[in-house]
Amino acid sequence: MAAGHDEAKGNGFVGWLPVLLSAGIFAFFLQFLPQIAAGDTLRVEWAWAPSLGVALSFLVDGLSLTFALLISGIGTFVLLYSNSYLAGHPQYGRFALYLFSFMLSMLGLVLSDNLIGLFVFWELTTLTSYLLIGFDNESPKARRSALQALLLTGAGGLAMLAGLILLGAVGGSFEISQLVPQAEAIKGSGLYVPILILILAGTFTKSAQVPFHFWLPNAMAAPTPVSAFLHSATMVKAGVYLMARLHPVLSGTELWFWTLTIFGAVTAVFTSVLSLRQDDLKQALAYSTLMALGTLTMLLAPSSGYAITAFATFLVVHSLYKAALFLVVGCVDHGTGTRDADLLGGLARFMPFTAFTAALAGLSMAGLPPFIGYIGKELIYANTITAGDAATFVTVMALAANALMFAVAGVVALRPFWGKRGDTPLEPHEAPWPMLAGPMVLALLGLAFGLMPLLAEVNFTTPTVAAILGDAEKAKHLHLWAGVNTELMLSLATFAIGGLLLALYRPVRRFLEAADAATPSFDNGWDNILDALYRAAKWQTGILQSGNLQRYLFTIFATFVVAVGGTLLLKDAVNLGVALDDMNSPRHWPELVLIVAAALVTASSRSRMLAVAALGVQGIAVALIFISFGAPDVAITQLLVETLVVVLVAVAMLSLPFLDERGKNDRRPKDMVLAVLCGVVVSAVLIGVLQGPLDLRLTDFFETTAAPEAFGRNIVNVILVDFRAIDTFGEIAVIVVAALSAYALLRTTDSSRDRDEEEEELS
Amino acid sequence: MEFLLAITIGVMVAAAVYLMLARNVLRFIFGLILISNAANLAIFTAGRLTPGAPPLIKEGAYAPAEGVANALPQALVLTAIVIGFGLFAFALVLVYRAYTTLGTLYSDEMDAAEPKGPAQ
Amino acid sequence: MISADIAIVLPEVFLAVYAMAALLYAVYTTKDKAAPALLWATAAVFAAVAIWIGLSGGPVQTAFGGAFVDDGFARFSKVVILLSASAVLLMSEGYLAKRDLLRFEYPVLIVLAVVGMMMMVSAGDLMALYMGLELQSLALYVVASLRRDSVKSTEAGLKYFVLGALSSGLLLYGASLTYGFAGTTLFSGIVQTAQGGQLPLGLLFGLAFIAAGLAFKVSAVPFHMWTPDVYEGSPTPVTAFFATAPKVAAMGLFARVVHDAFGGAVGDWSQIIALLSVASMFLGAIAAIGQTNIKRLMAYSSIAHMGFALMGLASGTEAGVQAMLIYMAIYVTMNIGTFAFIIGMEKDGRPVRDIRALSLYSKTDPTGALALLVLMFSLAGVPPMVGFFGKLSVLAAAVDGGLAWLAVAGVIASVIGAFYYLRIVYFMYFGEETEALDKNGSPILWIFLMGSAAAMVFGVFNLFGVDTAAALAAETLVR
Repeated sequence: MAAGHDEAKGNGFVGWLPVLLSAGIFAFFLQFLPQIAAGDTLRVEWAWAPSLGVALSFLVDGLSLTFALLISGIGTFVLLYSNSYLAGHPQYGRFALYLFSFMLSMLGLVLSDNLIGLFVFWELTTLTSYLLIGFDNESPKARRSALQALLLTGAGGLAMLAGLILLGAVGGSFEISQLVPQAEAIKGSGLYVPILILILAGTFTKSAQVPFHFWLPNAMAAPTPVSAFLHSATMVKAGVYLMARLHPVLSGTELWFWTLTIFGAVTAVFTSVLSLRQDDLKQALAYSTLMALGTLTMLLAPSSGYAITAFATFLVVHSLYKAALFLVVGCVDHGTGTRDADLLGGLARFMPFTAFTAALAGLSMAGLPPFIGYIGKELIYANTITAGDAATFVTVMALAANALMFAVAGVVALRPFWGKRGDTPLEPHEAPWPMLAGPMVLALLGLAFGLMPLLAEVNFTTPTVAAILGDAEKAKHLHLWAGVNTELMLSLATFAIGGLLLALYRPVRRFLEAADAATPSFDNGWDNILDALYRAAKWQTGILQSGNLQRYLFTIFATFVVAVGGTLLLKDAVNLGVALDDMNSPRHWPELVLIVAAALVTASSRSRMLAVAALGVQGIAVALIFISFGAPDVAITQLLVETLVVVLVAVAMLSLPFLDERGKNDRRPKDMVLAVLCGVVVSAVLIGVLQGPLDLRLTDFFETTAAPEAFGRNIVNVILVDFRAIDTFGEIAVIVVAALSAYALLRTTDSSRDRDEEEEELS
Repeated sequence: MEFLLAITIGVMVAAAVYLMLARNVLRFIFGLILISNAANLAIFTAGRLTPGAPPLIKEGAYAPAEGVANALPQALVLTAIVIGFGLFAFALVLVYRAYTTLGTLYSDEMDAAEPKGPAQ
Repeated sequence: MISADIAIVLPEVFLAVYAMAALLYAVYTTKDKAAPALLWATAAVFAAVAIWIGLSGGPVQTAFGGAFVDDGFARFSKVVILLSASAVLLMSEGYLAKRDLLRFEYPVLIVLAVVGMMMMVSAGDLMALYMGLELQSLALYVVASLRRDSVKSTEAGLKYFVLGALSSGLLLYGASLTYGFAGTTLFSGIVQTAQGGQLPLGLLFGLAFIAAGLAFKVSAVPFHMWTPDVYEGSPTPVTAFFATAPKVAAMGLFARVVHDAFGGAVGDWSQIIALLSVASMFLGAIAAIGQTNIKRLMAYSSIAHMGFALMGLASGTEAGVQAMLIYMAIYVTMNIGTFAFIIGMEKDGRPVRDIRALSLYSKTDPTGALALLVLMFSLAGVPPMVGFFGKLSVLAAAVDGGLAWLAVAGVIASVIGAFYYLRIVYFMYFGEETEALDKNGSPILWIFLMGSAAAMVFGVFNLFGVDTAAALAAETLVR
């Protein structure tokens, strides 16, 4: 990362401005703390697109404030850190802009009270994270993971949008605060299940629950500060945040409980196993982040005070230690040139401050007293043993995940710094203070909250519980020593198993590597899905878009026959008896027979001249019908036009080839069947319509007003020139266009065929 | 009589569809002429048939006699015939043009714009 | 009676007279040498008429016994049609002139097509509808085969004509059935016979055939087949035209027919349109994935977008019409920008249509790439771009109209659809090194590209008031 730019030069003003701005934002939110801790909430609203029900409304309560402080606080340190980590990078300005925009979007997301507003910010985080992951866009890996993250979380986000819109429709408002009182109605509605599934599709992809977890470790191709910020502390928690935010509206059903419990628990255990398997420290942290996300999801399943207090505590715990550890790994990378667990060791001598920070954060991660991590873990156990039906399952899963985390904490935070010195690409050196300040403060906060649990309880966990459960009384107390109880026993078991795993680290990892290689990879599954999508698209296009005109026409006619004929059969609308009675009037048989015969000859003739002649006969027979039924004007026009048609076709024939140039027999039985069906359907529908009486109001109107108002005797003419002049106007325009078109097409041009071929060759 | 005409129209449509499905675009044009005649007849028939009297108003009268033909569909058919003719004239020119440019009247040989997909 | 009628259709008459005058002028003077001036004049006339219509308010007026309706809905659609046609004309000058395709009949045909479109959205009668449609279609058949010596262009024109003529036939047949049952071709008369929810069978079929004919014009599945071939085969500025004004006209006409003539039986057509909508969204989204030619890709994209616009219509409510109008206005704006970019895609002065040629375009032209990124995100419906608000409004309308399943299907389709828009972005920013495209050289194209992209970003503040205007327009249609 450090190669290729001048570190000494720094980033100047561009580097410091975002740090100051985000520190200011942090301070701004800090001032709300006393008010929110006292149980108040704040809400502001601006109209945005009122006709769509979209407003910019923001709600500050315990939950959103906790998130806002974590985002802006960690954001400040990450920006400070990046300023050194990417010192002198030619595109640092762009990077800082992306990072800062990301932070603002994230703040908008957690503060928004309007579902649609929330979704807008949600997608903005997806977008900015895409730009951040792909920032180092020279490497193919970064490109692939940027696309993967975008597609997966983007798809989940859109599914979520459908869920949110349905939720808004069922609850009658897009404001979350107004949906909470409607919770029972929403849960009782028939749309509850689709709403829940769609929204969880969004939150599970964003928060990388199994089986959508694979994008997160891949996204670690991003610069380390980005990983620390997006992939541990903030963005991936957006899904968890939304589940917490909608907890009052959607929770309390069996579906909610079991879905969150199972997905959360499986994610926690599965990914913590994978975490221990990694040799890259950053990857190990990435997988341990997934474990935390699984745990948080699992904690949101019930509605008990223990569960939500544990959720609030673990949220803070994890953000503090995980951001610190990511930044520490960045320091190690920066100082030694590698993140490979096998190459690192004994760094404490060279990087004492880094080692100290790592130890603090690592102990909190391991859940050892007196760190807040310990309190968080105790609360998780307090929740699992009271989880009713699910108690055994979740306790075992939580125990497994925590023990594995203990081991991972050792691998990441202890092994690189102690023991034998490893063989690193660079001579190890301590990181500069701007890179150390952030992790150290965060790690120390973990210790401070552990020693003074009341500080965290009053400011964060109790207000958060109040926001989610609607009742601050349900919040549990945070304390280091709660006497000898089941939780303590479980903690001791965690340490024992975790310690054992750490002691046997190398054989355990070899075993896991072998097991991992033997199981199918989700990542490959993703590639297969994309390939399949491409193939499906090609296949569909090949079938439906063959480029063959007859096939298009065939499809259209077939659709017509099936749709209309099907409806006719279903509704049984045609009374053929009436039609048969009609056969008794023999007067106009000759015209009809002529038309039928001419049509059939045209259709079957292989001689052009015969076909044209038959067409002409058919036209004249149609004119005869017009004459017979009182329409002489129409008949004259028809005769005129028909003559013109025949003449024009005959002229055109002179320069066009014969119908069947290659002497092929043009019998097409399939087409014939379809054609006959079309004819039958058309006749049947027409007969159906003709059975009914005709409403002659409009005709009567024309008949009675033609003479008095338009002074005309020929009603048809009156209709055309007076009452319906628009038709005539259109007619003239159509004829003009036709003439102009013919002219345009027939104009001789200097050939520029070669130009066209150029284009084809390139496209 | 309306019903017999309805069946006749059905035959015209069948013949027209068969022509339109042919490979040769000239046949398509024949089909087009047939189907537009069928459509005109359909409109005319839909206005119900009255043998004999055209819709004229006698000198001195303010309304036509009882039993004259329905004037409205006649007006509509007139419009449709004229437009149909415009369409036809254009179609003929287009086919001529296509033949001189593409050198074929067979629509299945017109595949310059197509992806060479599996269906080919 | 007549003079009052003429006053109402004055904009259309004016344009028709303008077209004749322009034609005569060109024929009797310099012919093709007059084309550039004619093109600019036409664009200016379009813009002026758009302003004229946009500023003329007033109550609902009808002319020619109800065959022509002038209401807020028609005015809204006409303004969008005229402005987009004006923009596309300006965009086409450079491209056509360079390829020796700038002939005097081109602007005249566009004017006549636009007159047809204006008659379509104002139609109050089946025959007026048919007339407007034919006028528009005939002119479009010709501009599709404008490059007479080009194989693809001729082929495109022919295919378009064959399928178009067929759809006109279906429409005419539907009109005759409707007339045969209702005894009138006036929408205001038909609506009286089509009351009470359940349509009589004759009217139902009449409606179905008319809907099929209209579906062809909006290129809704399964009447969409012409779209990719014609988009690819036509000269690119003509493709841009196809993608914009005629789509608005056809959607407007569709809305007018179902509400004005069949407003009493929403349940019957709502189902038909919902099916068209869902099929279009999915086919458009899936088929676009496999495309490498950006014009074909945009064809499928437009099919999918029409599916979304139809979703608004399918809801059968005033909010649905409003959503459809918002959607169309946004869609047209996005397409103008995107096509401004596509028209300018050249390598060594020759047009390139392969999306892979966009690889690392962000390095050649960072501003242009950023603008296209904005447009692609907007087309995909990713917030906060304006395209998202279009999607949101139709989705909300569908849910409100009791079509929750359609909304969910739409979202799933847009997930699939997002894929190919994002792939273009991916190529521009993360693609592999290839020979770079030329930088977009034409200032006109550049202005439209930037303007459209800027509208997609800054429109999020108040959608430029389009939602209010669309609400007023929808109010006059759905009563």
